[in-house]
Amino acid sequence: MTNPLLSVRDLKVSFPSETGTVDAVRGISFDLKAGRTLGIVGESGSGKSVTSLAIMGLLDENVRISGSITFDGQELLGKSDKQLSAIRGNGLAMIFQDPLSSLTPVFSIGDQLIEALTVHRKLSKRAAWARAVELLETVGLPNPERRMKSFPHEFSGGMRQRVVIAIAMANKPKLIIADEPTTALDVTIQAQILDLIAKAQSETGAAVIMITHDMGVVAKTADDVLVMYAGKAVEKAPVHELFHRTRMPYSIGLLGAIPRVDKAEKQPLVPVKGNPPLLINLPDACPFASRCPIAIDACHAREPDLVDVGNEKMGEHHAACIRSHEITDGGLIDGRRVFPLPDVAERALAGVPREDRPVTLEVRNMTKTFPLMKGAFLKRKLGEVHAIRGISFDIREGETMAIVGESGCGKTTTLLQIMDLVEQVDGDILIGGTSVADVRGGHAERTLRRDIQIVFQDPMGALDPRMTVADIIAEPLRAIGTKKAESETRVDELMDLVGLDPSHSNRFPSAFSGGQRQRIGIARALATNPKVVVLDEPVSALDVSIQAGVINLLDELKAKLGLSYLFVAHDLSVVRHIADRVAVMYLGAFVEQGSVDEIFEDPQHPYTQALLSAIPIPDPDIERTRERIVLTGDLASATDHIGGCSFASRCQLFKVLPPEDQARCLGEVPPLTGPENHRNACHFR
Amino acid sequence: MIVVATNLTYFLAWGFLDPRNNYVGRRPPLSEDQIVQLLQPRNLSDTVSLLERWWSWFSGIIFRWDWGVSPVGQSVNDQVAYRMWVSAELVLGATILATVLGIALGVYTASRQYKLADRIGQATSIITMNINIVVAALGIVLLAIGFNNMVGTTVFFVTGSASSDVTGFFPIIIDALQHLILPTVALVIIGYAGTHFLQRSLLLDNINADYVRTARAKGLTKAQAIRKHALRTSLIPVATQVAFTIPTVFMGAILTESIFGWNGMGRYFLETIAKNDIHGTVAIAAFGAVLTAIGALLADIAVVVLDPRVRVS
Repeated sequence: MTNPLLSVRDLKVSFPSETGTVDAVRGISFDLKAGRTLGIVGESGSGKSVTSLAIMGLLDENVRISGSITFDGQELLGKSDKQLSAIRGNGLAMIFQDPLSSLTPVFSIGDQLIEALTVHRKLSKRAAWARAVELLETVGLPNPERRMKSFPHEFSGGMRQRVVIAIAMANKPKLIIADEPTTALDVTIQAQILDLIAKAQSETGAAVIMITHDMGVVAKTADDVLVMYAGKAVEKAPVHELFHRTRMPYSIGLLGAIPRVDKAEKQPLVPVKGNPPLLINLPDACPFASRCPIAIDACHAREPDLVDVGNEKMGEHHAACIRSHEITDGGLIDGRRVFPLPDVAERALAGVPREDRPVTLEVRNMTKTFPLMKGAFLKRKLGEVHAIRGISFDIREGETMAIVGESGCGKTTTLLQIMDLVEQVDGDILIGGTSVADVRGGHAERTLRRDIQIVFQDPMGALDPRMTVADIIAEPLRAIGTKKAESETRVDELMDLVGLDPSHSNRFPSAFSGGQRQRIGIARALATNPKVVVLDEPVSALDVSIQAGVINLLDELKAKLGLSYLFVAHDLSVVRHIADRVAVMYLGAFVEQGSVDEIFEDPQHPYTQALLSAIPIPDPDIERTRERIVLTGDLASATDHIGGCSFASRCQLFKVLPPEDQARCLGEVPPLTGPENHRNACHFR
Repeated sequence: MIVVATNLTYFLAWGFLDPRNNYVGRRPPLSEDQIVQLLQPRNLSDTVSLLERWWSWFSGIIFRWDWGVSPVGQSVNDQVAYRMWVSAELVLGATILATVLGIALGVYTASRQYKLADRIGQATSIITMNINIVVAALGIVLLAIGFNNMVGTTVFFVTGSASSDVTGFFPIIIDALQHLILPTVALVIIGYAGTHFLQRSLLLDNINADYVRTARAKGLTKAQAIRKHALRTSLIPVATQVAFTIPTVFMGAILTESIFGWNGMGRYFLETIAKNDIHGTVAIAAFGAVLTAIGALLADIAVVVLDPRVRVS
């Protein structure tokens, strides 16, 4: 039992690219014993996925791999594709990141599952079918018999990920590699899937490699943690040791950059400045030195090795930092923080109570329905999708209002209704006191649009790649008729404001990194001096260390310019950090609404409670001891006509209510009730 | 749609073609009366009003399936019925071969992207795609004649679609094949490359898809995963495209038919226009419309066969 199941020694992976040879993995070594979970964390481009694909033997053929990977006593490197395919899916299984694209669209779920079984052992048709149904049942798919004949597009993301897990479990593997298995999923589904992987692990007794960028997921699942940076392991330790006695500045920075859902304090996040290096012709120096606040000359002299910094009591702990012995618990060096806290900008409106501030955006009873059509030539109306069902809120100057909820709950539709200035049937949208119903003609609309601007989720897709940054930022200015000379100075001013070098304004978006592009998007939104900025998941596409910088920028801008934000996100930790007020949305309606601390400290509605408990907290002690509410099922369809509470089908409270109270949940739509700073829509809370 | 298109063509044909021109410059010149007398029974005389001509032509089709006669009195029905099979013999075999070859090469080269086999395959296809059919056909004819001379007997016939003096079931088939091989080879050589490139690029799009990786992670080898998971999805657009080219190749093999002396639809098309044969032209247009409809139907069938999602919804 002392022999490790998987043993990786000095694994190096490099592949050719147009600019030179990319050294994606530069010497990784680790051991993994049966039944244990190894968490590999790192930002995009750190080499964690490449490592897992190298173990699976799924890298391209033009990739050069050296070192050694021993799995179950066999050396994997050097085996042919045919020899490897006997191990893949049998002893070694993998769960991929994006469940939407990882199943073949033209084969049924059953076919794909049976294929995974029959490719490794001879099974009669009936036996394979029975085993496949059994597997689907294990992963918790309702009606497994019927589901066998379904195709992937009929399933939601969470259900597809269950199928992928079922495929991975099919042959009772000894090692399951999960590559960001929950990144593409909502938090409540993430909690279900993580539990399912744990279940798969306990049932098969497999070892698991959990690759993720989410420190919370690591805290929840891993026994040992490997932090990767620039293709190398920079810290390796048991999970408690790593979270509490962090010794490598990069890991400290990574942990400090995450907003915490369980902490109310409003101190700024600590971003790790700069970007990870390109992995081409790296000099022999610490790759993190250029971003490290405690770097000394010796850091640039040679690349530090991963050395043991542990003690007898706490077990093994390796870190690759020449100053790691100086760093003490809590990320301190010489009694000061490794990453100094950035200054908090003074809020101009901090002293003014909420009631005295002007309302910048008000939404009254917004509704939106989409007709549901069927038929190729003659469209028949089958019913309606109730995307938004009567929501109301207001945002005051210098305030951030956040709408949270799972995908499909109507968050984005709400934003689009506001941005499209859609006239409401039985309600109204007021921007700076002007009702959209009164806006007639292009000129009035343009004037109103100056006051409300949007920042999009995907910083890559939202910027026209054929326009220079100056053109992009100046476009809204041109649209409202600003003179050229004037707009040029404004562009420089804006670039400076969002922390970009104004001399780079003639470059194209492709020359900037993700975080910088999001800053360009913010600068563009601020060009017209708007009162309200609508932020549609502005940081969800960014790595944590970059994300912290953008969040701080948003905070700073709000304080400096007195902006109001309407912030839409599914990441509750970010919301807790940035928002003043929160509305929790479920199936097109608010189920809880109020001030951020009230809602996070004392959630009333069962859905909010479940949502909050589903978020993994980046602290293994808290994460592993707290009670958790795991919701069953997916988001219900908005097409169904719901006579009562829309959440009743998944509600944990509903299940323990006496029958007469349950009848009320099903028969009566609960209104939002309670005081202004904390209202909820539940009959029994 | 087919009916509308056909009738439209009828009027357009009358706008462009005039059967009277066939008799211009005859020695001795025909008198006006003689021309009208020749054309009137064939429903081709412009002394009758256009509407009346149209009705007798249209009612002939509807009630008697009679597509009219050419200015010299040949029945259009007979011509199309005979030439259709000649064309089909030539074109269908070539299309199927070109498609299979193209797809096979596409899969082979896509699985070996940027390797020597891929580069050689690509280069060959680029060359063959750019060879003119006349050059290809004449080259093949020369080779075949050389071969025939070498062997000392006629293995390949370079003209015609069949010999007239062959009887018996097997001899006829062998004879037909002897005639068929050369034009088919010519058509395949210039036709396969398009499918090859399309299939290669579509498969390359799919080869790196996540689900192919999943299939490999299940334990399929790379080749198995490509054949089973990537090929199926990438075949759908190829099948659609091939189905829609059927009318084009049917009518467009004009040069091949001319070089090899086949009396197919392509040559008929040229002849009818050259001879101001209005009824023949219209019949060909109608035939083309039917083929397009068949092509669309085949494309739909192919999609349904390949993509089970369509069947579900």
